[in-house]
Amino acid sequence: MTARENILNRVRSALGRKVSPQDTASIDARIAAHPLGMQPPRDWEPELRFRARAEALASTVEKVSSLQSVPGAVARYLVTHDLPTGGICWPSLRKLDWIGAGLGMEDRPARGDDFVGVTGCYCAIAETGTLMLLSGPDTPAAASLLPETHIAIVETARIVPFMEDAWALLRAERGRLPRAVNFVSGPSRTADIEQTVTMGAHGPYRVHIILVG
Amino acid sequence: MELRSNEFKTRAAANLGDEKLQRGLGLIKVKAVVNRANAVAEFGDFETLREVGKAIRDRALADLDLYLERFEREAVARGAVVHWAENASEACRIVVDIARENGVRTVAKAKSMVSEEVGLNDALIEAGIEPIETDLGEYILQINDAEPPSHIVMPVIHKTAEDVADLFHAKHGTPRKTDPAALTREAREILRPKFLSADMGVSGANFLIAETGSTLIVTNEGNGRLCTTLPRLHVAITGIEKVVATLEDASTLLRLLPRSATGQAITNYVSLHTGPKRLEESDGPQQFHIVLVDNGRSKLLAGEMREMLRCIRCGACMNHCPVYQAVGGHAYGWVYPGPMGNILTPSYVGLENAIALPNAATMCNQCGVVCPVKIPLPDLMRKLREEQMERGLKPWPERLGLALWGWAAQQPALYALGTRIAVRFMKWLGGREKLIHRLPLASGWSDGRDFPAPEGQTFRELYKERRQ
Amino acid sequence: MRVALFVTCLADLMRPGVAFAAIRLLEHGGCTVEVPQTQTCCGQPAYNSGDRATAIALARKVLVEFEGFDYVVAPSGSCGGMIRAHYPELFRDDPATLKRIEALAARTWELTDFLANVLKLDSVPGDFKGTVTYHDSCSGLRELGVKAQPRALLAKLPGLKLTEMNEAETCCGFGGTFSLKFGEVSTQLADNKCGHACATGADAIVGGDLGCLLNIEGRLRRRGDLKTKVLHVAEILAGDERLKS
Repeated sequence: MTARENILNRVRSALGRKVSPQDTASIDARIAAHPLGMQPPRDWEPELRFRARAEALASTVEKVSSLQSVPGAVARYLVTHDLPTGGICWPSLRKLDWIGAGLGMEDRPARGDDFVGVTGCYCAIAETGTLMLLSGPDTPAAASLLPETHIAIVETARIVPFMEDAWALLRAERGRLPRAVNFVSGPSRTADIEQTVTMGAHGPYRVHIILVG
Repeated sequence: MELRSNEFKTRAAANLGDEKLQRGLGLIKVKAVVNRANAVAEFGDFETLREVGKAIRDRALADLDLYLERFEREAVARGAVVHWAENASEACRIVVDIARENGVRTVAKAKSMVSEEVGLNDALIEAGIEPIETDLGEYILQINDAEPPSHIVMPVIHKTAEDVADLFHAKHGTPRKTDPAALTREAREILRPKFLSADMGVSGANFLIAETGSTLIVTNEGNGRLCTTLPRLHVAITGIEKVVATLEDASTLLRLLPRSATGQAITNYVSLHTGPKRLEESDGPQQFHIVLVDNGRSKLLAGEMREMLRCIRCGACMNHCPVYQAVGGHAYGWVYPGPMGNILTPSYVGLENAIALPNAATMCNQCGVVCPVKIPLPDLMRKLREEQMERGLKPWPERLGLALWGWAAQQPALYALGTRIAVRFMKWLGGREKLIHRLPLASGWSDGRDFPAPEGQTFRELYKERRQ
Repeated sequence: MRVALFVTCLADLMRPGVAFAAIRLLEHGGCTVEVPQTQTCCGQPAYNSGDRATAIALARKVLVEFEGFDYVVAPSGSCGGMIRAHYPELFRDDPATLKRIEALAARTWELTDFLANVLKLDSVPGDFKGTVTYHDSCSGLRELGVKAQPRALLAKLPGLKLTEMNEAETCCGFGGTFSLKFGEVSTQLADNKCGHACATGADAIVGGDLGCLLNIEGRLRRRGDLKTKVLHVAEILAGDERLKS
């Protein structure tokens, strides 16, 4: 007997059955239906809520009218905060005019010593002010993680009310999950020492969100 | 992890006088407890949310075999390798074997209580592999001669910034600094190259999603993301009870977990991992292994402790426990402290090896009312006390005392006579002050407290007199 | 309305005045109060010590003694909670008894809960003058929802001022046999409670359970405070003579 069989046998006997039923209709139906559990009341407008929650989580937020305005906004943010004007961006963003905005953005994998990482996001969640990022060849996960500053571009049309709406969107558009789904809610933080909240534990010290719409 | 649960009484008493520990524990009441209360109030109908969360966990446990099989099927279909471990040593052997087969020399570890439970670090070290704890708290403990954590969410709650300052100064050879932000930066700079060079990342999993075969972890520091993104291998090790049906179920539980743990509406990072790196991806592990650990869980499923398997490891029970708040986590002598430990420790290591724990609670039920999945913790402790009684594991003076009192309480005439004599004797003991300074056979009370003396006659007597 | 008083073993032994005060309050509310003479203990010490057999035996005894009344009232959230919240669990495998036990449980009340929610008293006989602070006992609070009731009743005393302490809902550390088995921890929790209570500067610490009150008073006196009174809420509401001596 393998460990797998032993464990499953013990589980089955604890549940009062000899073998797992061939017919797994009961759980398959539940999984297929994936019913909603419980959500808080939706008494807000998603974009306003997203913005308020993201700011409450110590992200900064600004809004521009089009994707073409993003490089300029990134440049302004970096200069205003006295940050290096070079870094990396997702390959999916390589076509933006970074040079025109005076920025050196490379579309290569992030390294441990990169200062700035610019990413998009799959969608954003209003309830908690959260970015949802999917890993992929053009959207590598490390770009939002290794650099000290993470700048994320969010199309306002892609702000959904709840995490469940993000799953629905993902099921409809992609069918299945990528290797990594990362929900990001503000800069990395820790409160391990005397429960004092400190930013920049292992991930970015700052998250700047540029809304486009 | 070395088991010292039978030393609870002496270690608890000693910790009461530990000023530094008390300062750390004092912060729980003003921070963790207050933050949770605010987050719960902000949510609104948290009570209904707890009910829904309980139902989600109960449903997963009621068909645990089916959900585990479905989870395995989905995970394997996405290219993950699923391993099953019956006990701690098997779990360690599986991880060590994966490491050896792949020539792993260093392992970057995100916080995982299951890895503490099975003693993974010791097993890796024995195999000549270096584990590096990357959660700030766990890292502090590791460089302090592998000290055990004292809390499941805030592992160094027993340490002050001054302690950490001394430790970093001694171990890193850097100038001493006490500011938490500066200490955090120092740890970041030391750990960053270790992340980049680690061959393998080990994480736990807060939930396993049957629908998609994904593991889900919540972290704030980002170390969990680094451990699961950079090294060429990722091993997620977790308990078999962690499975839930769907992404929606996980989403509901995510509204409960961070609020209950730290008072956050969501943790900084919530990461789901489904299979290894895809062909064209520039990052992600080439291999993704999932180790499903039983180690006593299937036994709990069969018995009266089943409700404990709903636990989502938030730590709210210990944050709100007056006993934990007074004695700290180390007194409990194993991985899981506080009320959850009072149940899990005897369940996993044997009731005889943790005699005190089910009794180490006033039954105030503060834990029960904050538990996000409504585990009736005091009721479960009481059931363990019953088992102690049945198995003769209680000390004989307690059993004798209970038996005598129980018998007398069923003989009203004798009871009335006995109490008449007792209250007179105790009134005499109390003297003019009406305070008994030393109670015979009950020094546990009178070492630190007086006992207010009775008035000399029982109500029963006085009531009869007044009626006549 | 025939009401049986569940005296509680601690009131019987330690503070008969609490039981007399409870009778006075119930009579003030128009009840006919009876005191079954063979009663001893609800069985909670056995129950919480894991001695289920004794707990069941004592629960049966209570059932026989008390099931004939309209209501059963106890000046204790701990005993009231035992009967109301835990007795049914003891008889889950004995459907015939369970039915009777559930009926008993449904008619059993903690004193202040009964006075406020069943009798709906609009006055109380007491005349306490001074400042008090209220300790919420765990069983009453978390098993029976006793929180507003004693405060509403105390508010009917014009000379009384209630000043809330910090952590009023935190356990005092009594926990029955816990106070003997883990004396040091129990004492520490009692000390925390005394600290919070004394910080209010109240003349009296008031509560609804004698177990907690003996624990708090015991620690208070050992700390050297011989002045602050520690009183059961029934004594204050009824105007107990002990207060006036």
